[in-house]
Amino acid sequence: MTTPEPSTSRPPLWRDVRVLRVAGQVAAVVVVFLILQWLIGNLVTNYGRLNISFDFGFLNQPTQFQIANHPQFNPRSPVWRMVLVGVKNTALAGVFGIALAGVLGLIIGIGRLSQNWLAAKLSAAYVEFFRNIPPLVVIVFFAFAVFLYGPLPNLRQAIEIPLFGTGRTALILSNAEWGVPGMRSTGNLLAFGVSALVAVVAAAVVWRWRTRLNERSGEPHHRVLWSLGVLLAILVVSYVALGGPLVIDWPQLSENRRRIASGFSINSGFMSVAGALGLYTASHVAEIIRGSILAVPWGQTEASFALALTNFQRYRFVVLPQAMRIAVPPLINQALNLIKNTSLAAAVGYAEITTLTQTSIGNGRPAVQSVVILMVVYLGFSLLVSLILNIVNRRLQLVTR
Amino acid sequence: MTASTLEPSPVQAPVGGPLTWVRSRLFPNLRSSILTVLLTPLLAYALYRAVLFFFVNGRWDVVTRNLTLFMQGTYPRDQQWRIVTQIIVLAFAFGVGAATSAASQVDAAREAGLPVVKQGFLSVLKRFWSVIAFVLLLLYFANTATPWLVMGGAIAAFALGSLARFIPRRFRSVGWTLSVLALVAAFQVVAGTVGYSWMITAVVLAAGAWSAFKFEGVEGRRAVVYRGLAAVAAAVVTYLVYMQLVFPGVGWDHWSGLHLTLWVSAFAIVLSFPLGLILALARRSSFPVLRWLATGYIELIRGVPLITLLFMGQYILGFMLPQGTDPSSITRAITAMALFTAAYVAEIVRGGLQSIPHGQTEAALALGLPTGKMMRMIILPQALRAVIPALVGQFISIFKDSSLLEIIAIDEFLGVRSLVHAQADFRVVAHAETLVFVAIGYWAFAYAMSRESQRLEVRLRAGRK
Amino acid sequence: MQRKLLALLTVLAVMAVACTTGDPSADTVPATDTGTETTPAETTPDTGDTETTGTTEPAVLPQDEGGILAAVQDRGQVRCGVNDVLPGFGIVDENGEYSGFDIDFCRAVAAGVLGDPEAVEFVPLTAEARFTALQGGEIDVLIRNTTWTATRDGQEGATFLHTTFYDGQGMMVPASTGFTTLEDLADATICVLQGTTTELNLTAVFNARGIPFNPMTHADNETLQPAYESGQCEAWTSDVSQLTAFKASIEEAGGEEQYIMAEVFSKEPLGPAVPDGDSAWAQAVDWSVLATITAWEFGLTSENIGSYDGDDPNILNFLGADGFDPGLGLDPEFNVRIIESVGNYQEIFERHLAPIGLELEGSPNDLWTNGGLMYSPPYR
Repeated sequence: MTTPEPSTSRPPLWRDVRVLRVAGQVAAVVVVFLILQWLIGNLVTNYGRLNISFDFGFLNQPTQFQIANHPQFNPRSPVWRMVLVGVKNTALAGVFGIALAGVLGLIIGIGRLSQNWLAAKLSAAYVEFFRNIPPLVVIVFFAFAVFLYGPLPNLRQAIEIPLFGTGRTALILSNAEWGVPGMRSTGNLLAFGVSALVAVVAAAVVWRWRTRLNERSGEPHHRVLWSLGVLLAILVVSYVALGGPLVIDWPQLSENRRRIASGFSINSGFMSVAGALGLYTASHVAEIIRGSILAVPWGQTEASFALALTNFQRYRFVVLPQAMRIAVPPLINQALNLIKNTSLAAAVGYAEITTLTQTSIGNGRPAVQSVVILMVVYLGFSLLVSLILNIVNRRLQLVTR
Repeated sequence: MTASTLEPSPVQAPVGGPLTWVRSRLFPNLRSSILTVLLTPLLAYALYRAVLFFFVNGRWDVVTRNLTLFMQGTYPRDQQWRIVTQIIVLAFAFGVGAATSAASQVDAAREAGLPVVKQGFLSVLKRFWSVIAFVLLLLYFANTATPWLVMGGAIAAFALGSLARFIPRRFRSVGWTLSVLALVAAFQVVAGTVGYSWMITAVVLAAGAWSAFKFEGVEGRRAVVYRGLAAVAAAVVTYLVYMQLVFPGVGWDHWSGLHLTLWVSAFAIVLSFPLGLILALARRSSFPVLRWLATGYIELIRGVPLITLLFMGQYILGFMLPQGTDPSSITRAITAMALFTAAYVAEIVRGGLQSIPHGQTEAALALGLPTGKMMRMIILPQALRAVIPALVGQFISIFKDSSLLEIIAIDEFLGVRSLVHAQADFRVVAHAETLVFVAIGYWAFAYAMSRESQRLEVRLRAGRK
Repeated sequence: MQRKLLALLTVLAVMAVACTTGDPSADTVPATDTGTETTPAETTPDTGDTETTGTTEPAVLPQDEGGILAAVQDRGQVRCGVNDVLPGFGIVDENGEYSGFDIDFCRAVAAGVLGDPEAVEFVPLTAEARFTALQGGEIDVLIRNTTWTATRDGQEGATFLHTTFYDGQGMMVPASTGFTTLEDLADATICVLQGTTTELNLTAVFNARGIPFNPMTHADNETLQPAYESGQCEAWTSDVSQLTAFKASIEEAGGEEQYIMAEVFSKEPLGPAVPDGDSAWAQAVDWSVLATITAWEFGLTSENIGSYDGDDPNILNFLGADGFDPGLGLDPEFNVRIIESVGNYQEIFERHLAPIGLELEGSPNDLWTNGGLMYSPPYR
């Protein structure tokens, strides 16, 4: 039986898949490139007509406006310093918002599965309410409810909660700023910082030692107690030795009762943004956690009932660890969303990077470069948060064979 | 010996009424009781304050007097008949669409041998209760008769449209085409038929003709040619008709209020879907260049907030186009929103594509299906069905994000508040009332959409074995 | 593997070729069936010493050919950039109608150029977007309480015309505080709108005098005013015209009495602006605005302009009698149409700014014969 000869002639060029593949990709690139070139060419031409430059030299010019709640910011500082202030504020609001959203979301997500009818219904109402209104509305709502029409007095008549016994104030509450205790350095700060670093490293070493000891001999490791003990011991010794480099700075109103002169002041814009976005994102987090808890196989719960674990033990040791594995990727998404939502802070006057960019464009800075910087900042945040949480995700993943 | 028969004890109905329920639900154990005791006064206080705000102290005349402003913004009042007509035509479109989809579901259930569940009128009410409640609220605030007449007209149009369920199965696609056509007509009534609008209708009619005329008797390529001819004929007829009837309207640059919010969201959704689909396919394509381009675009857009894209549209897009072509603010905003949503849609669809077992692709290749047919008939239908809930979630998100247009001075539903509070009577009062009203409006629509998405999710999951 | 290499090399080659011969001018001819009906013609480059990076002729502009005036007349509508949330100057009432001081001047321009005060399209703009809209051609004229500054004339590509309102920046505090000077506000939180010259001026003045302060910026008045009333900020700085309007509103609604400090700490001459490079359009708008001042000086109002029967040659010229036409490209009777439709400057002021508490007499906005600054060049 003769097998037919394989044909050795190539199909015509216009039908040859290999050629088409290459040609198709080349064509796609050329098309995209031409479009971009047209757009950017127009941009260059139009900007040239109006005598606006393309470089980033404006970053070295003075900012010319004062940034809210940053008394140490000099309006003559260059614009790139303003950008850094904006980035810092965005990061702060993002971190606190994520923390609040995480904690609140966890509570509400678990509350929704509670046996208590009131808790379950209230959690459900909370989630359904906050998930369905725009974040901008939540931010303005929060600012109105808590600060503008809320129970707090203005700064001149602020509530000062005293610290028992001493003449100091523990907390200052007003509708514009809150004063909380901060830390102040009295010298030797660098040395203390170094010793703190040493303490942390020592604690980590002790942790590993106790864990290895446990693995080898089966003794209870008590590693938390050991590490904490070592950490505290080194910190206390260095604190005393350096003569108390850090002291608590109690909050105090200034002479004219117009600003918080010492301690750490939190402004209402920050609290509105972080609080409101925390509340808003918590509703999404609650749904994700509820979904992930429900996704844990029911057999796990049944087994924990059979072992007579308490509710708390069941959640802490069986359900939540497995649920977190499922929940981490969508939670990463929510964290990113929160950071992106801080761009809405212009409504409450919180000076994060988008608000500052809007102000500087309004004052004549070139729009293209400013918006490009803005996008780069947010891309940076996205990348950072994705990286961190992806590491967390990978640690939590099951090792499958 | 008499065998003692074990009689099963009669089933006892659960004893105790409300008291048992209270005990088991609210005070089952100590911790739960403490929770109840803590939560109840808070709840009572919140309810008390809410009642005070809504019924006693609230200055709701701000909404009553500015209701038209909230609904249609600065739309010229003498052209209001267009909006009224649009609402009625939209109600008709929804009636036809709902009836056709219900009929298709019944057919599919019958074919699959599953029980046929009829959707009663009451169940529809229950599904969309939030929207209905919001409309009733609007009627309560209205101080003219027009809204009531419009409601009556809309209900009548919806009922008329739902007669479409009697269309026989062969012509079901006529129902869909009619529904989409009515949607387009509603848009045209408000915006006018000048300019490029004939193209939209032409495309819709061509697609409708293509799907309606199946030419099943004719074989292979000739059927395709005939169908193509039918589509082209439909497009040409549309063009000729439009050239005859010159119907000026009010372009979308002049729209504002809730009207604008709804249409902007609709456009962003409709425009983002095909683009997102293309991006998702490009991201999984075997051409490395396409993959890189698509991935680069998606990661770039997903990493930045929508407001930066709106800024780009506002400040930069005008310079990127040659002089003389100056798209209006709203065109730019819709473009930015569509490009933004497309990246998210692409990710969702990609997830759906990944969830299809690879065996499907292998089977299709084994059958000799070319890639196009394989995608169209096997992969995409399954993938899209799987991700419909996630897509609806994304669409809810873009509906809420339309509130960001307020930041670039487009007066959509949230932005109308600025207009209201610049008026002399409301400069310093009633800020909270307008905010609550706007929040209720957004909530009503978003809640209805999210319940629909949950229903779809349950139905799709139940459909799978 | 070879294919991929081939693809990559081709791509690189194409990009290299494109980069070295990039010629955007080939792609910048505007389409003729959008927006303005301008024929694409070859034009001379606009501002002389611009350094366009890359190659080529600038794009075709309406102001370079036939001009904005011709484009507006063709279109039959003036596109006016306005504010829609500023009491007295540009607001929207519950019927969706625009009204205000600046709005009336938009209508005056429309009446002058097109003969119909309703042939205006109002484009509401934010403070940040207004100059990009003007430069980009989205609007023909910007009448949006915009201050005339050197930077805006130069860098922002605008040309400012005759000032319609001489304003200044002031500071408002609750009267009960007893503050009277800026020094009383050391360390205070001061509410200010974001993205306007108000912020810059505030910083400049306070820094020059060495007074520390804390600004609280808001995106719009609708969140700023509750913040001020709740005491979050102790003072509110804005243009005096705005402070007057809000003072009146707060006091009428039963709030605390307000005090606007006597010190006015910047000059804010507000007026219309047009894009650079089209003098015919600039003059058309300018003389339309000036018509209101000239009519005021002559004592002509919307009521009596139809019935003038005197011999004053200046007034006769103004009315376009005997066909007097100074060659501005407008109808000889354009002044009459403007005054008939919106009235003279005093009428416009009284209609919109008197209700918010501003006085015409004795202010810089009074006529020059009464000691104010409103002075129009002779119409001859």
